[in-house]
Amino acid sequence: MRHSRISRSPRRAVAAAALAAVMLPLSACGGGDEGGSSDASGKVEGEITFQTWNLKANFKSYFEGLIDDFEKKYPDAKVKWVDQPGEGYADKISADAAGGTLPDVVNVSPDLVAPLAKAGIALDLDKSAGKYEKEYLPGAWKSHQVPGLEGTYAFPWYLNTGPLFYNKRLFKDAGLDADKPPKTYDELFADAEELADKSKGKVATLANVPTVEDFGRYGVPLMNKEGTGFTFNDKKGVELLTKYKKLYDVKALDGQALTATPESTGKKFLTEAVAMNPGSALDLEKFKKDAPRLYQNIGITPQISSTGKDNMYVMGVMVNTRTKRTPAAVAFAHFVTDAQRQMSFAKKVAIFPSTKGSLDDPYFTKADGSDVARVRIAAAKSLKTAVNYTPVLFSEQMKIELRNAVARALQGKQSPKEALDNAVKACDRLLKQS
Amino acid sequence: MKSPAAAAARTAGRAAEGPAPQKSGTGPRAAAGRRPARRIRRQLVTSPWLFAAPGLVIVGVFILYPFVSTIINSFTDKRQLVEGKYVGLANFRELLHDDMFWIGLRNSTLYVLVVVPALVVLPLLLALLVQKQIPGITFFRSAFYTPVVASIVVVGLIWVWMLDERGLVNAVLEAVGAGKVGFLSDQWLLLFSAMGVTVWKGLGYYMIIYLAALANVPRELHEAAAVDGAGPVRRFLSVTVPAVRSTMVLVAALSSVAAFKVFSEVYLMAGPTGGPAGEDTTLVMLVQRTGTGLTGRVGYASAISVVIFVVTVALMLLVLRADRKEDA
Repeated sequence: MRHSRISRSPRRAVAAAALAAVMLPLSACGGGDEGGSSDASGKVEGEITFQTWNLKANFKSYFEGLIDDFEKKYPDAKVKWVDQPGEGYADKISADAAGGTLPDVVNVSPDLVAPLAKAGIALDLDKSAGKYEKEYLPGAWKSHQVPGLEGTYAFPWYLNTGPLFYNKRLFKDAGLDADKPPKTYDELFADAEELADKSKGKVATLANVPTVEDFGRYGVPLMNKEGTGFTFNDKKGVELLTKYKKLYDVKALDGQALTATPESTGKKFLTEAVAMNPGSALDLEKFKKDAPRLYQNIGITPQISSTGKDNMYVMGVMVNTRTKRTPAAVAFAHFVTDAQRQMSFAKKVAIFPSTKGSLDDPYFTKADGSDVARVRIAAAKSLKTAVNYTPVLFSEQMKIELRNAVARALQGKQSPKEALDNAVKACDRLLKQS
Repeated sequence: MKSPAAAAARTAGRAAEGPAPQKSGTGPRAAAGRRPARRIRRQLVTSPWLFAAPGLVIVGVFILYPFVSTIINSFTDKRQLVEGKYVGLANFRELLHDDMFWIGLRNSTLYVLVVVPALVVLPLLLALLVQKQIPGITFFRSAFYTPVVASIVVVGLIWVWMLDERGLVNAVLEAVGAGKVGFLSDQWLLLFSAMGVTVWKGLGYYMIIYLAALANVPRELHEAAAVDGAGPVRRFLSVTVPAVRSTMVLVAALSSVAAFKVFSEVYLMAGPTGGPAGEDTTLVMLVQRTGTGLTGRVGYASAISVVIFVVTVALMLLVLRADRKEDA
């Protein structure tokens, strides 16, 4: 009998393992700590974790100093800093959020914060830290609000906008005035066709297909007011895509634009295969080092815009609702993004503070004769009126839908209207499913 | 395993036989010996499981759990941050109306149809070439194997650089007056370029497998065929191919599964959008695109994964069945 009982136990073990295999996925549902309170008024104490997005390699000493300062100000608080690589950041946040291991304070962008807010993982700062709102530029504070939800879900951190670089030599060769680069889309299309014509299709003006930001800067309404549907298939959107199609046909848009990445377009600009490319002040050093001939002929102009407003990118710092140390997490998120810290960060790298009055600092208004300062001043000026044209709810999948629709129109497989209608339909479906 | 009834009968039998005559000094030893015997019997049952436990745990955690989890998820509308609810076959029904799924299925199938024959035949020819014992042949064997050990990312980037409009290949084509070819901008050229990279990278690996098989082909068969007047081609078809047929089946099975699940080559060469208008997307790329990110649709991506699994198993069965038919 004993023998029989013993021999049954492996069977039980196997059965238990099989049952566990089936049940574990189910038990994973709703896992994670439901977490703490949204009240940030208590004592700033305890250990919190702060996650940045690919900043350790270049700014280790800055963040270590910042954390030291915070810990000196609040001796009972301790901050553990983790940094994640740029590649796959959204996936990392997603896995951490699903597993209940998301750090207390997280560096996010508006499109990342939207799904987190919807899932109840991002703290509503209007409720927990509304008193700080007046310290930030109104547009920046609103950038982390999510259509369909009440509240603001991240402190605005640094802003960025980039100028457009152009190759003066290629402009001159095409008989264009190199000192008068295009400012609006209509001027851009005219110059691009001229460049393609004069170079017999060898020099393209642009290496990228239009993105949702281009539609925004062209004056296309991107979403309805309720935030429940996309509208970039309207008359103006179709008009923009039709013009891009013409550019593609006359080779004013690079032949590989349909599969281009920011890296590949940057390389094409470096090798003088395309005449214009967006960038930042950091690129000037690269041009100087890697492409001296291009650097001698480099022209800098604001982004092409038919609305008179540039596009800006916003970074934010959100607080996890599941944190056990809400007062410390909120205090630290505010500390990272306050005027003093943002100004000091801006002096280390080409970014711009989102705090009120910071952009009036002489650092952003007075030239010192260098190219870098020239780019910085121009960008800071444009930021005062800039708009974040990327809708907060525009996910990565939606970006791919739009890009594929644009490609189909440029290849002539669908008309611009048909392609944009399909893209809007697909994006609306994804919006409903999100 | 013995039943309780049999054990009872055995005990009853022993009782009927009566107590065994005890030799002096044997009683206590026998009683003491029964305990280790029982322990050994118990260990005979538990030991294999203990030895297998690490492997079982790994299989359970990294294969069985994700597999079962994927199947369960395919019947839900689970998203990355939102737990799903049961939706029956809705995901599979949606697949039928998803253009991108059909594009992915077409591309993955095409990949199998082009890459598998190439990887079954070309490495065999290469193995025949490098099998010969001539001076310096080790260098060529190593050279052919080098792509196998190279990182796919590095290999992909090198090929992108070579096939670019301003890359090495187009420079050569222009120099000979053939004009530029849009290897990376035309949907079909892009897909076939990726297939070329897969074949190029896999040649060395399958060549090694064939080399091992060729070493087992009896030389006497070749000699006998030569005596009968068979030339090199005839000997290849009548002696070599039948002798390595089971290896060819193995290569076909391995390469067809790998080809259907292709991701890296196409992703690196066609970019995250999957080529112009996504026309070069493969099924695994579609799983990655649909299921990852903060708004990723885990349920829908799982449904695509289930389809990939079913097709992969079907491919394996097809290859094995073809092999069995030829055996018969």
